[in-house]
Amino acid sequence: MNGWHGRLLHVDLSSGVCRYEAIPASWLQSYLGGRGLGVRLLRETYHLDPFAPEMPLVFACGPLGGTSAPTSSRLAVVSRSPLTGTIYDCSAGGRFAHRLKGAGIDALVITGQSAQPTLLRLSPAGATLEPAQKLWGERFHATAAALQSASESVAAIGPAGERGVLFANIMMGEGNSVGRGGLGAVMGNKRLKAIVVSGDQRPTIADPERLQKGRQDMMRLFKASPILFGQLGIAEYGTPTLVDLMTQRRMAPTENFRRTVFEAAANYSGPAIRKAYQSKKDGCFGCPIQCKKSTPQGEHLPEYETVSHFGALNGIADLHSIVKSNTLCNDLGMDTISAAATLSAWGELRGRFPSADEVQKLLLAMALRQGEGESLALGSQRLTRAAGRPEFSMSVKGLELPAYDPRGAYGMALAYCTSNRGGCHLRAYPISHEILRKPVPTDRFSFAGKARIIKIAEDTNATIDSLVACKFSFLGASLEEYGTILSGVTGHDYSPQDLKEIGERIYLTERYYNLANGFSEKDDTLPPRFFSEAGSSGEGIDVPPIDQARFNEERRKYYRIRGLTDDGSFKDPAWLGGQP
Amino acid sequence: MIRQLAKYKGKLAADGCAVSERIAFLARDDELLSDGPQELVQLGAAILEQLSAVSLVLAPLALPVGDLLIRRAPVGESSFVPRDTETRTFLHDIPFVRLEKGESPDPAALAQLLRRRKGVIVEGVGIVAIGAFTPEQAYIHYCSVFHAALVKYLLDLLHDGFSLAGEDEAFAALRDAWLQPVTLEGVTFADKGVAGREAIYAEIARVGRYTVEKGLVDSAFGNISWREGETIYISQTGAHLDELEGYIDPVPSDNSSTAGVTASSELLAHRRIFEETGARTILHGHPKLAVVISMLCEKSDCSVSDCWRNCPQVRQLEVTPIVAGEIGAGGLAEKVAPVIGERGRALVFGHGVFTLGRDGFAEAFNALVEVENWCRAEYLRRLEKRLQKDV
Repeated sequence: MNGWHGRLLHVDLSSGVCRYEAIPASWLQSYLGGRGLGVRLLRETYHLDPFAPEMPLVFACGPLGGTSAPTSSRLAVVSRSPLTGTIYDCSAGGRFAHRLKGAGIDALVITGQSAQPTLLRLSPAGATLEPAQKLWGERFHATAAALQSASESVAAIGPAGERGVLFANIMMGEGNSVGRGGLGAVMGNKRLKAIVVSGDQRPTIADPERLQKGRQDMMRLFKASPILFGQLGIAEYGTPTLVDLMTQRRMAPTENFRRTVFEAAANYSGPAIRKAYQSKKDGCFGCPIQCKKSTPQGEHLPEYETVSHFGALNGIADLHSIVKSNTLCNDLGMDTISAAATLSAWGELRGRFPSADEVQKLLLAMALRQGEGESLALGSQRLTRAAGRPEFSMSVKGLELPAYDPRGAYGMALAYCTSNRGGCHLRAYPISHEILRKPVPTDRFSFAGKARIIKIAEDTNATIDSLVACKFSFLGASLEEYGTILSGVTGHDYSPQDLKEIGERIYLTERYYNLANGFSEKDDTLPPRFFSEAGSSGEGIDVPPIDQARFNEERRKYYRIRGLTDDGSFKDPAWLGGQP
Repeated sequence: MIRQLAKYKGKLAADGCAVSERIAFLARDDELLSDGPQELVQLGAAILEQLSAVSLVLAPLALPVGDLLIRRAPVGESSFVPRDTETRTFLHDIPFVRLEKGESPDPAALAQLLRRRKGVIVEGVGIVAIGAFTPEQAYIHYCSVFHAALVKYLLDLLHDGFSLAGEDEAFAALRDAWLQPVTLEGVTFADKGVAGREAIYAEIARVGRYTVEKGLVDSAFGNISWREGETIYISQTGAHLDELEGYIDPVPSDNSSTAGVTASSELLAHRRIFEETGARTILHGHPKLAVVISMLCEKSDCSVSDCWRNCPQVRQLEVTPIVAGEIGAGGLAEKVAPVIGERGRALVFGHGVFTLGRDGFAEAFNALVEVENWCRAEYLRRLEKRLQKDV
């Protein structure tokens, strides 16, 4: 077998048994790896409660991991989200993914619940479980420092994961995180503090020349993309390069989405961060883009969504406060988007958004579930429901919306709702065409044609998350180049169309799980604010409320294009049984 | 969506790539929409239903270069690699399908090819191109295949001469239809009369439109800029030069704002040229004969094989320097800026032309026209010389 190792490691924390299992070749070829493989591995357990001990937590690599394919040293972590109740996956890059594949497995499946805090140590020689009582309660950076050596990588939870904060992250030693849906809380519930992995076993490559051809084609496209390698692109400024653009497009969520322009946004723009922190390039292992930015001392600087939500969404103009909030969230092991958005919803509830000085105290209380933090730790949907004002939660399926106001991009509006993991910008990433003009520009204030575009993009991105590659690479390249690379690596011939069909299977499997778990059309919608309140119009740009009837019509089109019924259900209730 | 189909059908005809009455444009929303002759629409629909794509265009080429390329290709070959760097970067290779006389194209076989690539040439039928997201993409891919086919055919002809019965007549028709000198008829420039941001936008949009109307730029390719003080006003990435209203980014030279992240991929080249020359305007297009001529090199015994990227020479074509370099961050900016100042023009190997204007667009536009016309004359001169060898 080329590309894949063909086996997984199953760790049962209840019994302490670790055993290798073969993965059927047909699963690998039909689901690739990463998100797709993780979703397939949950076929028998997707209905379990996220905190049920037997609910698996899957770390899955892809067939391109361990090869020279650009942006592909990544993995997906898959389980069911305690925040949203949906099937959930998150893609993360870095050396941890590289070394997990190097440990000689395609996936790590963790089930059960340890009686005591524990630590999993993993290498090509096997796996061991060790007591981790001394580390329990430690913040992430201290944990990583205690465990990580030059030849090892660490994935660990912080206090937020230990205490079941519903948007707790799994953090990785090189600064990457498994964010948004609270899989850190799933790991904490299993009392697994950390995973330490080492290994350098590389998969065999079927056709190195073909891989190299695809790689060269891809690099040329990366260099031709102004968003990636342009002077103002993310390689230079990181994703905060979007701050100025979102302000100019009048779609930067401000004060819990009551407005869409924040006058002080330039304080935390890409150039402002570079100037204040002398930021340098940083990023995932094996990635030529290096879009992350850090200080000369190695402190990781925030992404666009984080600066915007700790900034505009809470009405905070102080860059240093924003950077402190980001660093604190990382250390506590907590998702920055959901944390900031929950604070913002709380701010609107109480009639006052948190001040720059107040935020860090609230974040600490949130992670430790103390005082006010107890309700904040549950996320904005539960918080606002308990307060009798559910409309203040700017979320879809309980997942807080990131920093792209849907009134400024109608494909984004639809994609937030059709996303299988809730209000996420990355499932279809319509920002690429509605704002960044890649691969081709579309009219951001029109629903026309968006249903099929979103469907195709969701399928494509499900494939990307299964290879596992970085979505930013698609601001330059496409499945044509990844198809060539994957074919070269595995020896199986994959066309871009084949890959989209694999993505479609993965997407539909997720939707099937969600519907079986009680989700329905009524969950595929936006908070009412977006249909009734205008954004901040000005400078020749009108930002009206979204026409709900037109939105509903496009959503119906989307269901039909997906082959679903008009209410988004499966025509064939036994659809799942027909899948590999 | 139906308006989009009509729009891009019209642009294909206006570009001269296809004949309006023979263009079938299709798109799928939740149902199939189409515009064009029924038999082509039926074939297009049968292909599109097998693909995960929004749009498809199918039309015979306005020139017979597709069929000529296929018929000239050695038996056993089923694709060609574009010679020009822009289409090679984005399309990699272009499959083609041979059909016997009277044989109908097989939609399944064409869909199979389009599962892998963005466009295909079918003998006797034309170009079939798809757009994953929009009809505009299908249009761009059609134009790209057309551009690549024409450039390759012209180069092949220069190298090998005619090899098919009746090819000389076919070429004569092509020459009369396409290889005519560009004129300056109908173009006027405001230049020194341009004052203020709105006037700059209007002038950029007007001159952008000229470049397309005169066939110097295929609509969605090329870029254009105006420097005013510390700001460069430049067309956005993927913008059609004949539709620039609303698609121009102001980019401050100190990078104090990154709102211009959507600016053309050649922003870096424009910046370097402005810095190096003090010019006020820049035009960049891919006129076909300039692209062809830029790739002709008489040097023998040269160790460089990837000339478009790594040729270290600055070759001279009459008064125009030719340099190597790839798009965006691929090295083009560093090579063009030092050589363009003296005569206000430069060619990039296999890619296109940059020209500049000191006061406005008049000088840049005239230079672009001069370069293309000179390359046209030079091409025909060289072709004639080549054909004499066969006599």
